[in-house]
Amino acid sequence: MKFNGKDITELLALNRRNFVKLILGGAVGTGLSPIPWKLADDTAIWTQNWPWVPVPPEGEYVHEKTICKLCPGGCGIEVRKVDHRAVKIEGRTDFPVNPGGMCPLGMGGLQLLYNEQIRFTSPMKRVGARGAGKFVSISWEEAMAILVDRIKGLRQAGQPAALASIDGNPGRSTMSVLIERFMNAVGSPNYMRIPTSEDTYSMANMLMTGNDGPMAYDLENADFILSFGSGLIEGWGSPGRVLNAWKIWKENAAQKKITIVQIESRASNTASKADQWIPVKPGTEAALALGIAHILIREKLYHSEFVDRFAFGFSDWITSDGKDRAGFRRLVLEKYSPEKVAEITGIDAAEIGRLADLFGRARAPIALCGRGKGFLPGSVFECMAIHALNALVGNLNTPGGIFLHDPLPLGLLPQLEPDAVAAAGLKTPRVDQIGGSAHPFSQSLIENFSDAVISAEKSPVDTLLCFSSNPAYTMPDGGAFNKALQKIPFVVSFSPYHDETAYMADLVLPDHHYLEKMDDVVWPIGLQYPLYGITKPVVNPLYDTRNTGDIIIRLAAQMGDTVGKAFPWKNYEEVLQVRAKGLFDHSSGLTEYNGPEAWSRISEGGNFTPDYKSFDEMWKKMISGNLWYRPAHRYGNWGGIFKTPTGKFEFFSMQIDLAVDEASRQQDKETVLMSMGIHAKGDDAFMPHFESLVSEEDHGHYPLKMVPYEMINLSSGPYPNPPYLNKTLFDNQLFGDESFIEINPRTAADYHLGQGDRVVVGSSRGEVQVRVNLFEGAMPGIVYMPLGFGHTAYDDFLRGKGVNPNRIIAGGRDPLSGYSIWWSTPVKLTKI
Amino acid sequence: MDSALIPDGVKRCSPTSFFLWTVPWLALLAWGGISAILCLGLGLNQTNMSNIFAFALWIVFDLAIIALGAGAFFTGFLTYIIGKKELKNIINAAVVIGFICYTGAMGMLAFDLGQPVRSWFIFWHANIHSMLVEVSFCITCYMGVLAIEYLPIILENRKLSEIKEFRLFGHNLHHIMALFAATGVFLSFFHQGSLGGMYGVMYARPFAARAGFYVWPWTFFLFILSAIAAGPCFTILCTKLTEAITRKKLVPSSAIQLLAKISGWLLALYMVLKIADTLGWIYGVVPKAGQQFMDFFREGPYGLWLLVFEIIILGIIPMIILLIPKTRQHSGWLIAACLMTCTGIVLNRFMFIVVNLAIPVMPFDKFWSYLPTWQEWGLSMAVVGYGMLLFSLSYRYLPLFPKETELNTVGI
Amino acid sequence: MENNLAHGHRFGMVIDIDKCTGCGTCMVACAAENNVTVRSDESDKQRSITWMQLYKITNGKAFPHTEVSYFPRPCMHCDEDGHGHHTSPCVTVCVATATRLDFNTGIVSQIYTRCVGCRYCQAACPYHARYFNWWDGYKLIQPFPKGMERSLSPEVSVRTRGVVEKCTFCHHRLMRAKNKAYAEGRREIEESEYITACAEACPVQAITFGDLNNPNHKVSQLIKSPYAFRLLERLNTKPKVYYISKKDWVREMADNYLPGEFKPISTAAVGSR
Repeated sequence: MKFNGKDITELLALNRRNFVKLILGGAVGTGLSPIPWKLADDTAIWTQNWPWVPVPPEGEYVHEKTICKLCPGGCGIEVRKVDHRAVKIEGRTDFPVNPGGMCPLGMGGLQLLYNEQIRFTSPMKRVGARGAGKFVSISWEEAMAILVDRIKGLRQAGQPAALASIDGNPGRSTMSVLIERFMNAVGSPNYMRIPTSEDTYSMANMLMTGNDGPMAYDLENADFILSFGSGLIEGWGSPGRVLNAWKIWKENAAQKKITIVQIESRASNTASKADQWIPVKPGTEAALALGIAHILIREKLYHSEFVDRFAFGFSDWITSDGKDRAGFRRLVLEKYSPEKVAEITGIDAAEIGRLADLFGRARAPIALCGRGKGFLPGSVFECMAIHALNALVGNLNTPGGIFLHDPLPLGLLPQLEPDAVAAAGLKTPRVDQIGGSAHPFSQSLIENFSDAVISAEKSPVDTLLCFSSNPAYTMPDGGAFNKALQKIPFVVSFSPYHDETAYMADLVLPDHHYLEKMDDVVWPIGLQYPLYGITKPVVNPLYDTRNTGDIIIRLAAQMGDTVGKAFPWKNYEEVLQVRAKGLFDHSSGLTEYNGPEAWSRISEGGNFTPDYKSFDEMWKKMISGNLWYRPAHRYGNWGGIFKTPTGKFEFFSMQIDLAVDEASRQQDKETVLMSMGIHAKGDDAFMPHFESLVSEEDHGHYPLKMVPYEMINLSSGPYPNPPYLNKTLFDNQLFGDESFIEINPRTAADYHLGQGDRVVVGSSRGEVQVRVNLFEGAMPGIVYMPLGFGHTAYDDFLRGKGVNPNRIIAGGRDPLSGYSIWWSTPVKLTKI
Repeated sequence: MDSALIPDGVKRCSPTSFFLWTVPWLALLAWGGISAILCLGLGLNQTNMSNIFAFALWIVFDLAIIALGAGAFFTGFLTYIIGKKELKNIINAAVVIGFICYTGAMGMLAFDLGQPVRSWFIFWHANIHSMLVEVSFCITCYMGVLAIEYLPIILENRKLSEIKEFRLFGHNLHHIMALFAATGVFLSFFHQGSLGGMYGVMYARPFAARAGFYVWPWTFFLFILSAIAAGPCFTILCTKLTEAITRKKLVPSSAIQLLAKISGWLLALYMVLKIADTLGWIYGVVPKAGQQFMDFFREGPYGLWLLVFEIIILGIIPMIILLIPKTRQHSGWLIAACLMTCTGIVLNRFMFIVVNLAIPVMPFDKFWSYLPTWQEWGLSMAVVGYGMLLFSLSYRYLPLFPKETELNTVGI
Repeated sequence: MENNLAHGHRFGMVIDIDKCTGCGTCMVACAAENNVTVRSDESDKQRSITWMQLYKITNGKAFPHTEVSYFPRPCMHCDEDGHGHHTSPCVTVCVATATRLDFNTGIVSQIYTRCVGCRYCQAACPYHARYFNWWDGYKLIQPFPKGMERSLSPEVSVRTRGVVEKCTFCHHRLMRAKNKAYAEGRREIEESEYITACAEACPVQAITFGDLNNPNHKVSQLIKSPYAFRLLERLNTKPKVYYISKKDWVREMADNYLPGEFKPISTAAVGSR
């Protein structure tokens, strides 16, 4: 075949020449065509739309209001939603606690909601070893049946007291009332609460003022803050509120001259940002307070009207049967001279004088007790010593002082009528020995509970219910609770999260995440005016979880008999209504807040016109605004506010005196005081006094002290740390999986330790391995270890990161209260 | 087996020996291949680069080989434009080395990008103020030039030159090579300079920042100068290495000596300017930023010794060796001097890239350090493997050294 | 108003260091607002992404005179030098014009879909304010925590692996405010309508945000304080983020000074002005 004179086969043959032509022609042709442009464009578009990268769906923007429940602070939050998805939490400006601001934990709340890896998506039954976190999903019916059968079995065996519960819900919250009621209805006295600083405050308050209302600090109106270790800007109190107060102090500093003094051994943020830092030896705060009291008394800087007319036990006194008793003045003047206190605390005597002078001359001074965030309890006598300072300057119930309130008049649930089994059960002594003579003012003592379970051959507790808490991680007891947990035959967790306690549980009945449920907030911690909040679900429950409030009601119904009758409500919301009705009946308040600041309105006095007319209206408004509050207070009234045996503020606590007398009927007074852990002799034991930390440890063997510290940007409580907060940690706090201790370079030099070196911190309870961060702001001789690391549960974002100091805490027990002393553990360092 | 492809009149080892020779280079390529796949598939987290070390080993490698590859354009410049005829004996090798260096660098750069598919955005959305854009444009164009310069050498292959069109094409290319050489010189000047400019313009990084002339910081000129000083040294080294491995003399000493002499003088000029620049920086840029010279070497793994090494041991010493005819003519000294010069240039680039990024600017920031991962080494070594392979192939099949036959006949 | 429009806005920030408590809420708010990715190991500070980052500083004195403080560091949104020599360090160097200095707002933007990931901008930025996506942060399969993608905000695009990202002064919030203003027939937005997530979240309101070109905005007044300063001011990067601290040691930390160069401000002198 021919074409243009050439053989076509030759033209078409795939010879070298044609091949080259083809390639070249093809290349030129393709280059001129739109193909490369199109391809380039397509690839670029592809890189912008990788199929595995999520595209957040658009939708309608809705803003839902509620209250943060990640701590007892009760900050108002607004959740930005896109259709049904919550995408951001922001502070609420129409909520009086925290006008606009909030803390990092609250800001990260959505990561706890949406991270499926840390949440229980349905009821679970344990299949793996305890602590391994291996569960199988079961139905609610099955889960409830298992628990009901178990409790019924205990009741049938006449051992309802073998049911115990640990409750982490804030005191007086409706959840806690409901749980305690359930325990009582079943017939177990073993209802225990997670101890917090609030317990110490109320105990000190109770002993000195006889008042069992919340501690209410009028921080915003104060002009001198003497903080004995409270992490004012590190999460203490209601963070949104205290940080807002901080802003007010700093903004008005020029005009109002507000002075903040931080008493703490370490250069914490609060210490550094305060006007003055007093680096006191840890555990000697009470001595410092009494040293200041010494000067106030000696220099007559105290409020003589208050002390003379409304306080008891300031001067020496004589009992009705004619015995001479010492007064606070004598105690302080004799035993707490500035020189002596300087020796104990390491603070210069002249410095103590200056502090006392400033405190005594301030218009509205407040002495605050508490350590760090206040998640953990403190020392009662220390708190009393600090509270004595407030009394000395007469700043109780005065503007810018500490207010004494009655508890919120929340509606009472109907009287419980236990059946015979329950009545008998309730008479059994508590496992934690509350009700005995050793710790007459403590509500519960998990420390005793753990010891009892560990030392018993067979655990006295058969079934343990854990609510809103993670004691296996948070108890500062050197691992005792964990040990006890191993021995308890059946553990039930109501946690929404894969926490350490839930990992030890045999059955998990997961609660909703706080943004999925309705609940209440009773008086945010430390707030100076009453506030009751109702949270509402802002997103639909994501998983097969249930509000524990509803579950308790259902559980009771399934138990039947008197237990069922004790819970006549359809659901938890009805219980909340009963409680809120009490507010409507016995008080008047507001349900809306649009400024001015609530704290600036308090002086308006007691007469208040509520912004609702009927309970229905109030409830409706509370649901929409989440809020009922009463920004008013009746100042003064010193003649009527103290409910102590003497009707006065008691520098000498008659309640301790009575309790000791009561117990002394069986044994001698010395033994009674020893059993309470009080080493002071004579009348000192009934007054605020300093007890040096005694511990069973050999100081030669453990020459250093370990002091745990809390950070506002690291959750150390019962809730997991949202991953975003990990961004805020420094790489000399956590690096890889290792956490750091902070020690002074001088101490480090003694042990030949350099920055980043690995070291074992050992106490009598155990050892942990950490790395060293040299910090000039650390007191020499002290090892500072952050709380919040060392999780063994949850997911990759938390598990195995750093160590938990709670594991090695061995500081003994606080006198009188019996709580663990977690703020000072004798330790030794071993370089690796 | 492949004897038909081997240039006329030269002796080459057996195909088997040649294959064995390529095995290590193929292995390097395989290592690089795995690294590349990992980096493309899983992302740059496979490296130890970070937000601190945004540029690291690869960029050091890139800048180093681009500087060392400057032998191509500079020899071209001397050969075709200045008319140094004796350099015709080495120009082919210089071009191949240049081609290897530039293509290798470009290849690596593609993996260094977080979004390699978008690399054409640099041209499409070019920011004319960016030195890196200037670099990208010039390098890309210059790669084309190098390809064109390389092409006639390929076409001289015995088998390829049998095709008339190829032969003619190659021949014609030869005629206009001066034009390409000029273009190459122009482009190279700008990209070598811009590579230096990249660092000098970092006005917020006092360690790298330099004042300059018009839009070009002094580093712009220093990088050009150092590249044209070190490039010929690298060409010499490669030639010497080839001679050592093949145990043949391939390039007349006159060519080598001329290159070495020019290199020495350029190095001398460079050292004067570099020292002047360093002094100007110490007494100008640094105090203006509120810092003292020693602040940069206060902590961290990278100390003052690096600068001492760069300027004195790897700068002034080889310069002296290259300038003194007697030492220059001594093969051992020559090789040592070339090695030192090349190392000095690599160290210079390392200082501007890694050390620059390791030094904090904010007073409360800290010193950082960096160690590459095996993936980073893999990709870098792949360029070495690729270079060895391409050079070996070129040597085996192309008339890389025009005087090879002549020199070796004489020798026998 | 007209005048302002003609000159454009220059949004900026003033951070009161003495007020700042170092709580980190700004960092969390920023990450949550802007869909910033989070890895299981955030202690790898070289590769973690923190548009807003806290730097801890100490006064270097021995116990018990030690004091700590914090520098919250967003993107400085550096400006032109005023002589036309250069603009922000990063903007000058970006190869693909993926980052620009907006002359109407002063905001240094970042176009994720255009960024090629060469990281030159990171090298040029002395503040470490730019972050590269070393990982596919939000890959729908592991390692991102399952289910967390449900909290992603549609207002901010999710970044893919291989691009650089940084603080945008919550530019989407400006868009939000503008849209609202236009819908209401206004040409201009109010001071309170556009504020960054960090400024909004700060529980002590240490961060003030506003238009530096508008003399009525609080930021314009705050920067007149003798205690106002910027980070690395002498490098002439012209940041639009200002800081305020009455503490000399804090101010001295903000820039490099030759011995004797730093001039402490005597409180008495300022008070008598």
